[in-house]
Amino acid sequence: MSPMKLCVPGERLCSTEDCIPGTGTDLRHGYIFATLAGYVLRKNEGEELPVISVVRETEAQLLPDVGAIVTCKVTSINPRFAKVHILYVGSTPLKDRFRGTIRREDVRATEKDKVETYKSFRPGDIVLAKVISLGDVQSNYLLTTAENELGVVVAHSEAGAQMVPISWCEMQCPRTHAKEFRKVARVQPEYLQA
Amino acid sequence: MDTVHARFKEKIGEVLLPGDVFSFRLPEDGDGDGNNIKTEKIICGPGFRRNGEEVQVCKSGILRHKQPNLYWIDSQQRRYVPAKGESVIGIVTAKSGDIFKVDVGGSDQASLSYLAFEGATKRNRPNVQVGDLVYSQFTIANKDMEPELVCIDSCGRANGMGVFGADGLLFKVSLGLVRRLLAPQSEIVKDLEKIFPFELVVGMNGRVWVKAKTVQQTLIVANLLETCENMTSQQRQTLFRRVAEGSL
Repeated sequence: MSPMKLCVPGERLCSTEDCIPGTGTDLRHGYIFATLAGYVLRKNEGEELPVISVVRETEAQLLPDVGAIVTCKVTSINPRFAKVHILYVGSTPLKDRFRGTIRREDVRATEKDKVETYKSFRPGDIVLAKVISLGDVQSNYLLTTAENELGVVVAHSEAGAQMVPISWCEMQCPRTHAKEFRKVARVQPEYLQA
Repeated sequence: MDTVHARFKEKIGEVLLPGDVFSFRLPEDGDGDGNNIKTEKIICGPGFRRNGEEVQVCKSGILRHKQPNLYWIDSQQRRYVPAKGESVIGIVTAKSGDIFKVDVGGSDQASLSYLAFEGATKRNRPNVQVGDLVYSQFTIANKDMEPELVCIDSCGRANGMGVFGADGLLFKVSLGLVRRLLAPQSEIVKDLEKIFPFELVVGMNGRVWVKAKTVQQTLIVANLLETCENMTSQQRQTLFRRVAEGSL
């Protein structure tokens, strides 16, 4: 690999005869231009030409894709939707926090119009969700919890203790024994730590 | 062993402070058969919090008791915290699109949809202006979301709610006095009725609206309500009697 060189979007890197364009690059008028600001990476993949790509950091970042299971934290709720910060994609932590939205009709698979966001999520809950859409420039990732295995995994009660799930819609605080409503995820037994 | 009730009973009528603890660790059983321990049920009302085996006091006030097993802390507070189902007097501060923003005296302004009035449709908008008083109920009121109000009940009828207050005076009292005014057989209201007739709307957020025949009578009623907060019933009745004789 050649030594790391910085580039900005729009910078012409090389011509198509020298390299094949990879991620973060664009092919125009027979030349390869950078579309991201970062480091230029040239890799010999084993074909005739090396692949040229622009990366933000030395390791490539995993982006949430449609259908990926993500772990997120609820930041605010609204009668119509809940806003979340996406923390993990699968089991890889993300360096930046992406924003997601869980709409009211995507919380459950059944009885969608009777959903109350206050009885499904609260700010501070850790939720397992699936990406249904990447959204456009202004909107966030659209997520859904409309499956048995998706929903609230970790939640704290009003007293501050971590709650124990009792059913798919209720969790109980071990200190005050008060029950609170959440949309609880049914975690597979092999992922639970004893 | 009536330890649980006894511990509460000895403090009835006393002033408790946040941090006072009632601990209910079961005593060690000497003969090991467990028959001496009776399970008793106690209902802890507002001002109490359970913490494992203890019950902690989290508001300062006087411990009250109601048969058979209900205990609560009677506390004085002026700041209102919205709670679902309570009827309050709100002041309309802004009209934006489909909703009105209403000030209820809490930390956040509440929203009131224009369709939440009796007989309101998309074409038939209710006649509500900025600065109007509305008597309405909370449908959503919790610490994580903006509170929402409605002026109809679950059947769709107004039931006394809506815009009011063309004349009259709106003033603020403490929440304890509001609870006393709204009690079923309120002595304060009964004593006031004897002086002269007036209209009274009481909101659970500490706001009271009064209207009497003349401006002077309205002001008298408002002043009396504000002063009878810290009076015993004897002092209040002497004061009302003096006012009734003086105004006639």
